Amino acid sequence: MDREIKITAEPIDGRRCRFVVSEPLLDGARRFASPDAAQGSPLAEALFGVPGVTEVVVSGGTVTVSKDSPASWQVAGKEVGAAIRKALATGVPPIAEPSAAVSTGDEVLYGRVADLFEAEINPAIARHGGFVELLDVQDGVVMLRMGGGCQGCGMADVTLRQGIETALRQRVPEVAGIVDITDHSAGTNPYVTASKK
Amino acid sequence: MGARPRLLLLLPSTTYRAAAFVEAARRLDIELTVASDHTSVFAAQQPERLVTFDFASLERATGEAAAFASRHPVAAVVGVDDDTAILAAAIAEALGLAHNPVAATLAARNKHLQRLALSAAGVPVPGFRLHRLAEDPEAVARSAGYPCVLKPLCLSASRGVMRANSPQEFVAAHRVLDEILGEPGAAARGEESQQYLVESFVPGPEFALEGLLDDGRLRVLALFDKPDPLDGPCFEETIYVTPSRLGGAAQRAVAECAERAALALGLASGPVHVELRYNDAGPWLIDLGARPIGGRCSQVLRFGRGPVVLSLEELLLRYALGLPMPTFEREAEAAGVMMIPVPGAGVLRAVRGVAAARSVAGVEDVVITAHVGQTMVPLPRGARYPGFIFARGESALEVESALRRAHACLGFDVAKDGG
Repeated sequence: MDREIKITAEPIDGRRCRFVVSEPLLDGARRFASPDAAQGSPLAEALFGVPGVTEVVVSGGTVTVSKDSPASWQVAGKEVGAAIRKALATGVPPIAEPSAAVSTGDEVLYGRVADLFEAEINPAIARHGGFVELLDVQDGVVMLRMGGGCQGCGMADVTLRQGIETALRQRVPEVAGIVDITDHSAGTNPYVTASKK
Repeated sequence: MGARPRLLLLLPSTTYRAAAFVEAARRLDIELTVASDHTSVFAAQQPERLVTFDFASLERATGEAAAFASRHPVAAVVGVDDDTAILAAAIAEALGLAHNPVAATLAARNKHLQRLALSAAGVPVPGFRLHRLAEDPEAVARSAGYPCVLKPLCLSASRGVMRANSPQEFVAAHRVLDEILGEPGAAARGEESQQYLVESFVPGPEFALEGLLDDGRLRVLALFDKPDPLDGPCFEETIYVTPSRLGGAAQRAVAECAERAALALGLASGPVHVELRYNDAGPWLIDLGARPIGGRCSQVLRFGRGPVVLSLEELLLRYALGLPMPTFEREAEAAGVMMIPVPGAGVLRAVRGVAAARSVAGVEDVVITAHVGQTMVPLPRGARYPGFIFARGESALEVESALRRAHACLGFDVAKDGG
């Protein structure tokens, strides 16, 4: 009997949408920035078959998809959902292991970013009850998730872009970008809660 | 000054607007400095990008901004709400940058000053009288006409605004208003928190106009219908849908009324958010803010019908910095947002049905901004929405229907005893 795969779409904005899948996809996280990078990973390949998709980030049981098409997530989401189901139906691991050639440079970056997070970033945001988790570095792009007081905080984007990203670019200039996959709606103890203005 | 202009963005720590403005600055690739009333944990490491100003004192904050700008030249200052619009004007004046007159932004924030300026200029506004909280409410109630509306001078988003249909209701509403204005946040306003307006109730549907002033001329960016009746006893805003279904002539009258109001206050540039009613007598100006639309509602606005699509915030930052404006034209689709009404007083324990709400045709997103454990406070006292629903479609009717169906999917478990 076919297993039932439940997928919930959680749009982040017009360009990005997070898809929560009812079964695990990957132990860890991987980012795919082009169809070429997706080769060998059936799930990522299938998602780049959806018109307008520019980036795929897979982390645990979630897939964050970026697109540059004007189509709403109501429309594009159905195609993404179908692509996820199709890829999982094959029984092949949806995401391949990264190649050693790619991972070596990223591993060095990972270590430097992890050191920075441990020595400076996390001690700083711990003052507001927050923390940031380094998930992976791929092609120079840092994937992270915020938690504690940062998760759901009204100023989380300021902390991320003006604080964390700036520190990363200053201290680890090889970092090409940041992908934040925090589910802020799941935050239970944000440092600052927004109010009507 | 370097090649990239520096924008000083004034963000109160409790704003809903941080993500949208920071993202807009990132897309424009400008130097961004965020000034807030609460010190960032990275302020010491990133002194060019994160600064703390005393938002409670115009004079001190202006001095702090001037000191910062002497080290890091600033090309524009942008506020995001009524209070920071005033501060932005004061800082820009001190730095010799383009700005609205400070007095105009002060008059826009203070409901009584606004009413005085608008009525003096012949802009249609509800009849109004200023009273002090310390006056005998029963005496004021006897002198009021009914129905009337009690309105604090300094609060936002309908907080503390109540309709009274009789002297008995007036006295009860006065008691509640007295408590709200006695809370620390409101009381910090000083004299403004000791006064309130009693206004005549203006019947008719309400609209919200989002506009951009340029050299005193109003460019209408969007006109929203508010299809849920706002007849009291509180005035909880729920659905905004654009384009408006109001007739063309009426829309022009609404826009002319908004422009006259802005000019009467002395505002000449930047965003305005205008609340109006429209009935057989024409448009009535209910409120004008020298700021963009609040909450997360700006997410429904997208500008451009070609490959370039701008958010409202990107458009406003471009305007502030004098950058080219690729478009002012809103997208072709109808769009709408529901500010989810507070489901009841108590502690939020769970939110159900979000996935079902998201699956409603036309719904683009459901964002729950309240967190489990948060105390929910309904109007007239409350100051926070549980969340927002966003929808797009071919027509305003379709969008409104999608918002209502999505809202019907949601369930909020609120523990009244806090347990």
